[in-house]
Amino acid sequence: MATNYYLPEDKVPLPPKHADVLTTCCDYCIVACAYKVYRWPIGSGDGGVKASENAFGIDFPSSPLQDWVAPAQHNVVMHKDIPHNVIITPNKDATTVNTNGDSSIRGGIIAQKCYNPKTPTRDRLTSPMMRIYGTLQPVPWDFALDVAAEVAKHVIAKHGANAYSVKTYSYQYIENTYAISKFALRHVNTASFTFHDTPSDVTSTPGFRDAGFDNFGPSYDDWGSADVLMCLGTDPYETKTILFTQHIMKGVQKGMKLIMVNPRETAGITYAKKMGGLHLDVYPGSDTVLLGAIARIVVENGWEDKEWIEKWVNNKWESDSGFGQGTRNTPWQWRTTWGKFQTKGFKDYKKWLLSQPEYELAQASEITGVDAEKIQKAAEWIAKPKADGSRVNTSFGIEKGFYWSNNTGNTNAISSLATICGAGGRPGRVVGRFGGHQRGGQRGGKLPRNKSPEKVPGRRRRALDTDRWLVSGHTRMAHVIGTTWIQAMSGSQGLQKRFQELVVTNPHQVRSHDKQEIIETLKRRADSGGMVVIDQDIYLRNPIGAQFADIVFPAATWGEEDFMRANGERRLRLYQKFYDAPGDAKPDWWIIAQLAQRMGFDGFDWKNSNDVAEESSRFSRKGRKAFHMVKVYAHQNGRTLHEQMRLLGADGIQGPTFINDKGELKGAKRLHDTTMTAEQAADLYGENGPGEANIVTKKLTHFNTQTGQINLQKHPWSLFSDFWTWLKPKEDELWLSNGRINEIWQSGFDDVERRPYITQRWPENFVEIHPEDAKARGIESGDYVMMYSERVAAHKDTLLGVQNDHFQFDELMKRGHIELSKAAVTAVAIVTPHVKKGVLYSNMLDTRQPSNALTARVVDHISGNYNYKMGVAKIAKLGASKYKEEFRSMSFAPRNIA
Amino acid sequence: MSKDTYDESAAAHGQCMLNRRQFLLYSGSTAAAASTTTITLFPGTAQAREVNARVVGYPRTFLAKLSELKDNEPIDFNYPDNGKNASCILVKMGGVKAGGGIGSQRDVVAFSYLCTHQGGPLQGSYQVTEEQRTLGQCPFHLSVYDLRRHGIIVSGQAYQSLPQVMLELEGDDIYAVGLMGLLFGRNENLMNV
Repeated sequence: MATNYYLPEDKVPLPPKHADVLTTCCDYCIVACAYKVYRWPIGSGDGGVKASENAFGIDFPSSPLQDWVAPAQHNVVMHKDIPHNVIITPNKDATTVNTNGDSSIRGGIIAQKCYNPKTPTRDRLTSPMMRIYGTLQPVPWDFALDVAAEVAKHVIAKHGANAYSVKTYSYQYIENTYAISKFALRHVNTASFTFHDTPSDVTSTPGFRDAGFDNFGPSYDDWGSADVLMCLGTDPYETKTILFTQHIMKGVQKGMKLIMVNPRETAGITYAKKMGGLHLDVYPGSDTVLLGAIARIVVENGWEDKEWIEKWVNNKWESDSGFGQGTRNTPWQWRTTWGKFQTKGFKDYKKWLLSQPEYELAQASEITGVDAEKIQKAAEWIAKPKADGSRVNTSFGIEKGFYWSNNTGNTNAISSLATICGAGGRPGRVVGRFGGHQRGGQRGGKLPRNKSPEKVPGRRRRALDTDRWLVSGHTRMAHVIGTTWIQAMSGSQGLQKRFQELVVTNPHQVRSHDKQEIIETLKRRADSGGMVVIDQDIYLRNPIGAQFADIVFPAATWGEEDFMRANGERRLRLYQKFYDAPGDAKPDWWIIAQLAQRMGFDGFDWKNSNDVAEESSRFSRKGRKAFHMVKVYAHQNGRTLHEQMRLLGADGIQGPTFINDKGELKGAKRLHDTTMTAEQAADLYGENGPGEANIVTKKLTHFNTQTGQINLQKHPWSLFSDFWTWLKPKEDELWLSNGRINEIWQSGFDDVERRPYITQRWPENFVEIHPEDAKARGIESGDYVMMYSERVAAHKDTLLGVQNDHFQFDELMKRGHIELSKAAVTAVAIVTPHVKKGVLYSNMLDTRQPSNALTARVVDHISGNYNYKMGVAKIAKLGASKYKEEFRSMSFAPRNIA
Repeated sequence: MSKDTYDESAAAHGQCMLNRRQFLLYSGSTAAAASTTTITLFPGTAQAREVNARVVGYPRTFLAKLSELKDNEPIDFNYPDNGKNASCILVKMGGVKAGGGIGSQRDVVAFSYLCTHQGGPLQGSYQVTEEQRTLGQCPFHLSVYDLRRHGIIVSGQAYQSLPQVMLELEGDDIYAVGLMGLLFGRNENLMNV
């Protein structure tokens, strides 16, 4: 039997003394570990095993924790048209982030990402393509760009800017996101714009936003310096590995206790338990109830942090005050209409909390599926003062399993719980997101929200829901940049069906050699109610590129251009170009600039990526990763911004950035830094306050609210319980959650299919099922199973809400706005006790077997985000897979072996 | 295909991981001294690719007598030499069949003891969990390896599977005859150490 068994190499070249050494960071998860690229021409001689003979300057065999080269860390690339060896290994000089050169399985083998026609990267897009006579055929840049620009101009002129929908990644480097958003928002000015992970351009964590917490305020030191750290909706070992192994684990070894809230028990949770931690195994979507019950125990016992609340929580007057216009025109006010969230301070919150029946311990334990005793214990750990009356330092970190299931309720609840426990901007007492992808977003324009036809009850226009807009037939041209769009959204099979109708079955298909005729055909497609698709990516994705794109633009990416980006502690670094992009592939900023110029927009005549970065810097000034002062400093010293970033090297600089009295460039360790002293402030931006071009925003030392103090908010279960109760598994359904797995986290876009070892480990979609659930259905590890549902809910209409409850799920259902459809996804079963009984867990985005097909295409009606992590499915055995009997790939060993 | 092949017998295992004797059959005695002879595996399939032969030059080292191995009680040994980073585990996994396993139950396997992430020591981390047999969590960064499946990563940060020591059984004698995968800290497995 032929299998995709990976044959490991058993030797590797060492980098010679004459190798070029460049710094970069990993392309994948939020942590952005520092790496070194060693590059030398093929045939120029490899390094030897003696310290004097290799670029590491160490003797081989090397010792544990020293430099080493695994065969998967070596590749061959073209640099200035000459073949070069590259070895990419973690940077042992790093003093921050991946201290001393730690690495994950993903970044560790990032050398495999580089284009090399001898490896599974051979299908990188290397030329623009156009679908002619049904086939995507290579064409020159000018041809593809001219056609795209002409059709785009027509669509915008005839059908309005909102008919031109831009769906883009939010993270793939500051230069690109700036160019894309400048084009889409400032120039096209479309309200039909959003990012890869949400149907509309809205905040991911509404509760944090409204309480006043920045998502990424804490520094990595903070996450390791609490007494108790509560992690919700993620195992940071699996999904931000180095934050765990270099920061959290070191804290645990010094006595920090972990409380892990997660329906699964993976390696980091196993470690936490082994070290005396606590695992709260919730049912998907029930976290609000869990946190409500914990908060209730805290206030019933008077364990709240009274001093902190007195000083930092908005009281009755403060929660209504603010620069003469109260809370009007703040997102918080929009969401808090009708008093559902707003409180008059702690006493009011306490009164409300104690009146919520779901938050009584017994009922909460029933709803969440967590033992009452464990809930009680968690409350004691995080808030009960020590015997001497002093407080424990508690921190709270969240991620997608938590905020993508009851988005508003959960993020409100954690903000309030953290606040009453005294967590905020203090060392070792922080609250924030751990993060997903890196932070490479820089807006070059503002979403024209008032052009959105959608409105929720109250007074706010809601950011346009690009999925519902498309399903309703209003999108005439879809410009997709670096995302699958379809499989990344909820209820994805229904969405795919609509793409098919709008694009493929439309009669106006390109069947001509003539450029003008091609343009006219595509215009007629749009005018007839159909849709034209441009796809910009590094690989041809199925179906968005392979089945639906009319025009494909090949993008250059990591290592192929100089780019800037920040990580989860706002640390900015330069990701250096070290090899030639494949074929004719170009960076996204260049592609956008070419298109924009052809559409008649000015301000797109950049020469290189540094030009784009320098133009964008002033738009960063009020942001968490403000890098404008790096540019100012660079220019003072006769350098470009990118040159300055290159000098900052592996450790980079943490935003926001400043220049102090002595002319030194400085970065901020944490936001909401309530313990910052006058001396520390002076060291950042000068004795007499911020002068020159320095901008200091409120969030540096206070919170992001009208008063700079925290809004303590209610978190009613009732806003969500109608949907949760409707969704809850019926008959033989089980909860279906989906998410990342350590080996393919934030790297799925090029590793699971492109790296033989990762393909061998995870050859296809998997589903974890508890042994009792499996036994009842006759399922064993290695069986192919079908996960399916007859009730995938999809909100199908673009509409206005007038009365308060119009967007409640029950009401949408009653009024006929919810369509129930069927969906089915296959997977290989892994029977394991590390997943909670009654819950299935599968890969979040295997493009061939997309689990999101089974999640509801109904947004959180307060925030506009999908709750991706909650679905239900029936599961049935199809037969045995080959993995059941062979030993060459996959593994059915549980992930909770300590 | 024969049932045997499908079951991943030691013989089937040899199809992808040439044992020393089979390699000699393929290549003739003269090639045995070469270290980078190239052969094609899986000819004619999508997976066909040229790889370096894996066994040439490895020492044949006596490890233990099969009859003296106790279930789930690992034995330590050094391979391919007594130099740095050569410590290995030999274990009979209590009748649980494994890829590359030898003996009538195909449950005898051997692996490097050094985590392929950053060289962490895996001594003392052999675990029996129902039908699963694993090594780890590594004390450095918690990697766990599946000993039934050629040392593939279960969960963790390593860049490759744990190098598997190829075994041969002659009568009751177990020999180490080669290695699949590069040992941590080495740039090739056979070094002058």
